[in-house]
Amino acid sequence: MLRLRGLLIQHHFLSNCSARTASSVACREYDVIVVGGGHAGTEAAAAATRIGAETLLITQKIETIGALSCNPSLGGVGKGQLVKEVDALDGLMGRAGDYAGVHFSILNRRKGPAVWGPRAQLDRGRYKEFIQLELLNMPRLTVIEGSVEGLLVSTADPEQPGKHTVTGVRLADGGNEILSSSVILTTGTFLSGSLFMGKTTSPGGRMGEPPSCSGLTHSLREILGLKLGRLKTGTPPRIVKETVDFSLAHLHLPDLRPTPFSFINTHTHCKPEEQIPCHLTYTTPGVDRVVRESLHMNSHIQQDTKGPRYCPSIESRVLRFPGRQHQVWLEPEGLNSDLLYPQGLSMTMPLEMQLRLIREIPALQRADIHTPGYGVQYDFVCPTQLFPWLQLKSIQGLFLAGQINGTTGYEEAAAQGLWAGINAGRTALSMPPLSLSRTESYIGVLIDDLVGHGVTEPYRMFTSRAEFRTSLRPDNADLRLTPKGFEEIGCVSSPRYLEAVRVRQGLSEALSALKSITMSPSRWKEKLRDACISETKSTLISGEEMLQYKDVSFDMVASAFPEILSPYLEFSERIKIEAVYRPHCEKQQREMERMREEESLSLCPDIDYFSLPVSLSDEVREILDRVRPSTLGAAMRLQGVTPAAIVHLLNYVTRTGRRSRAVAHTDCF
Amino acid sequence: MMFACCRRNTFLITHKRLRLGFRCASSASSTAEPADTIFALSSGQGRCGVAVVRVTGPAAGGALRRVAGLSCGLPAPRTALLRSIVHPQSKEVLDRGLVLWFPGPHSFTGEDIAEFHIHGGPAVISGVLQALGSLPGLRPAEAGEFTRRAFHAGKLDLTEVEGLGDLIHAETQAQRRQALRQMAGDLGHLYNGWSEQLKRCLAHVEAFIDFSEGDLIEDGVLNQVDIAVPQLQMEIEKHLCDERRGERLRSGVQVVIAGSTNAGKSSLFNILCQRPAAIVSPIAGTTRDIVETSLDIGGFPVLLSDTAGLRDTGDCVEREGVRRARQMVGLADLTLVLVDSMQLPQEPQMVSGFLSEYLKNVLPSAKDHEQGYVLILNKSDLLPKEHISMIQNVLTQTSDMAPVSILSCHSREGLDDFLTLLQDRLKTLCGDPLAGSPSLTQTRHRAHLQKCVDALNQYYEYRDTDLALAAEGLRLGLSSLGRITGKGS
Repeated sequence: MLRLRGLLIQHHFLSNCSARTASSVACREYDVIVVGGGHAGTEAAAAATRIGAETLLITQKIETIGALSCNPSLGGVGKGQLVKEVDALDGLMGRAGDYAGVHFSILNRRKGPAVWGPRAQLDRGRYKEFIQLELLNMPRLTVIEGSVEGLLVSTADPEQPGKHTVTGVRLADGGNEILSSSVILTTGTFLSGSLFMGKTTSPGGRMGEPPSCSGLTHSLREILGLKLGRLKTGTPPRIVKETVDFSLAHLHLPDLRPTPFSFINTHTHCKPEEQIPCHLTYTTPGVDRVVRESLHMNSHIQQDTKGPRYCPSIESRVLRFPGRQHQVWLEPEGLNSDLLYPQGLSMTMPLEMQLRLIREIPALQRADIHTPGYGVQYDFVCPTQLFPWLQLKSIQGLFLAGQINGTTGYEEAAAQGLWAGINAGRTALSMPPLSLSRTESYIGVLIDDLVGHGVTEPYRMFTSRAEFRTSLRPDNADLRLTPKGFEEIGCVSSPRYLEAVRVRQGLSEALSALKSITMSPSRWKEKLRDACISETKSTLISGEEMLQYKDVSFDMVASAFPEILSPYLEFSERIKIEAVYRPHCEKQQREMERMREEESLSLCPDIDYFSLPVSLSDEVREILDRVRPSTLGAAMRLQGVTPAAIVHLLNYVTRTGRRSRAVAHTDCF
Repeated sequence: MMFACCRRNTFLITHKRLRLGFRCASSASSTAEPADTIFALSSGQGRCGVAVVRVTGPAAGGALRRVAGLSCGLPAPRTALLRSIVHPQSKEVLDRGLVLWFPGPHSFTGEDIAEFHIHGGPAVISGVLQALGSLPGLRPAEAGEFTRRAFHAGKLDLTEVEGLGDLIHAETQAQRRQALRQMAGDLGHLYNGWSEQLKRCLAHVEAFIDFSEGDLIEDGVLNQVDIAVPQLQMEIEKHLCDERRGERLRSGVQVVIAGSTNAGKSSLFNILCQRPAAIVSPIAGTTRDIVETSLDIGGFPVLLSDTAGLRDTGDCVEREGVRRARQMVGLADLTLVLVDSMQLPQEPQMVSGFLSEYLKNVLPSAKDHEQGYVLILNKSDLLPKEHISMIQNVLTQTSDMAPVSILSCHSREGLDDFLTLLQDRLKTLCGDPLAGSPSLTQTRHRAHLQKCVDALNQYYEYRDTDLALAAEGLRLGLSSLGRITGKGS
């Protein structure tokens, strides 16, 4: 079939893209349609095209593709890991961050490399510019403006699980239909979104943009019968920079040497000396007073809907911890922006109260508000209705990613978008879907948590959610995911793959070389005069073991053995981390192996647990029916599922396994 | 680790391939990494004629050789051999029984398996399990672990899986009941309390890692952890040292009768063993050496010793007897300190002072007095009734002289009360054998508690350099505790 390939991509900056919208793509068929151009949508579209799917991205405004709708920053503790993993699978986010970053720092620097949080303040304009440049030049990707009013749905393929099959989308105005094998919804806060400021409420997902059609919510809830929930979030007012007295705030400088997010970047776009600082200030009792006085005029805060606990509004903070000083970070919005983003001051009170509140803070005494803060409430689809490859269990070909699944944060959205894009593409191209394990990535942890346990409040990533945190480090995301992304998934470009292989080889050689150097402690002491080595040990110590001493760096050892080790100096920091963590990771290996083994035993998604002819208690049947775990491993982590039930399920898996082996090459999905 | 990770991604989890070929994937991975060696009682719990203890995993052969004393090599496969079962550290002979060797892959689990067919008493079983647990690389199996290994090795057919599922169900039910029983007791409170404390510590550290860059946590959370972790570790270590109850039940409680000459020690000894085992005479210093006998008092195994009266003497034989008596008291689980009531001061107010001095003389100073003795005032028949009640009054007012029995070996007055008191003390020392099978679980407890203590060391080791690794130590410790209480972390 003739596709629209290449037609629109010559137009980088889109003025006439919208003109082509509905009419030019109507009656075309795509492999994948992505609805939404936020962090989930852009990664989804990019990933689907990377694995070879003809993809259409539909967004309300091309101009807002890649917009940072809230904070002008990327990464952090836990979130930084996600950025590194998205990058390791050749996603956009890490490279965009390196291009747009204006202030780089590694959080948790003193707490150990496993929990380092790479983070950057971003220039909003540059971030958007990078994402749009990438997407609008991507082969196999078409981008149009439009609003999706509903999903095209037909009866399900009886050979596969699910009640319906999605066949495309219907656009608003004119009702054009576009066909596709897979659809990915990344509607963010736009699904039945309402904006709140003071006592006024208006429909919408982001201030200044038209609300999306109610048709989509209707499709999901009424036609497809999905369970939806409601969450809320908010954003602070933006402040006019020149009205701020920085002398009353603490200066916070970036790292002297900015560390890029991306494994293929050796340096950031912003030069070290061009970086700009942040400022830290604190709330006062006056802020508490304004919050209290404005409560009756603040309908958002009075609602029961759950908001993000770890990124709370100033109202929630004051109400939860009264009488305390709260941090307020004054973050730049960009290199040339006149605005500041006051992180920690997300608020939904009326505009005049917002102004009163910020002026209670000394540094903001004379500050002006450029855009007011506001709150958003939106629908999300309970993510337990998803497979680990982010397709809805009941609807073939329909994938969800981002805030629609109950998460919060750019990084969480991007990670899901990437994984949904890969799987939507694979499904369209008749390849089996894939899951990522908790044992190999934070993306796997994120998705497993979502589909296994659901959400009760906006889900944010922390390092403590990953049980194998010491193995899933930001420094080794490329080794964990890039080879797999190239060899098995097909979402990684060949140059990136070759680089990862080169690094893997280099690290492996360096560690062998270190192991081959063994000396007595006293000999080491002679070689490394600055290090404090206990000489009580009588056994020989290898170079690898020497690196486990806190103050011994690879460079020090390398300078003692330049002929053996100098070729590996470029990996200096990574070698040190690897040497320190290796004994601990080896201990974890067995536990990871077990989990992987159990995750590899899949449970057919359409099992009727109530009539399954194996010995299971009613209670266990009910739990399994409700959650429908995709693997035996997921079943084992459910509360109330006994070891005996697991053995019976194991038995069941073998039987189905044998049966499908008998019918070997027929697809069971 | 990361290299292994990359290599192993060849068995990627795809939905289609899984359903067709999970078995090859799982067997490939199980050969990739040596598994732990695990052991468990494979026959049912409770008293039975013969009990079967199984060990599976790479260290099974080594365990068999050490515990069955097979220095020259492993027995022929699948052939029963009668051996003494020996504790590898203490070299104590635990039992005599059959041992069998099933080298992998022709075994139930596909791994090397050693089997011990031993006598079915709880003491023997617990002894053998503890012996195995003391070997490096061995740990008690979790419920269903043997079956899962057998299954992964492709050793079970479907009906067998079905049957074993029921067995595991029964076992876990029993474990649950047992856990419930223990949870209701002091031990449960103790372990759950530790778990809670450790959970709080971990939560503090995790919060510090994930949130300390913002201001969403309170100040000084880490200081709380720095105080709580060493305290917890000390408590667990102390518990591990004190915890000799299972062993006491196996080898008997050491009860020693001690006191000054002619207090009636040998008379009490004879009464307790219900036969004239020791020579009794009115001559001070009749008993010179230790006289020992094994007894069953209220169902508890007791090793009772009569000792020479403690006094300074010029007789070198008697002096050696006194030295042995003091040594015996030092080793005792329980000392029956006998006093001749006729020696008590006439003034009742001075009695407690006298007895304190007396105790100081009999018991070694370092000994934990609270737990270790019962004070017995013998020859009560020789004192007027009013005098006795006056002494009793004085003693009840003196709280630090808690357990005192007043009796007469001659008239047997007060003897029943004394026996009740003695039984209570034995019960505390041994644990209640009627409540399930405490010694069995103690093997598991001990292994997990020890692991917990070791894991907590990792916290200190990395506290200042790498909080992620420090937290990992707390996580490991918590999961060890969780395995005792049955609540996974």
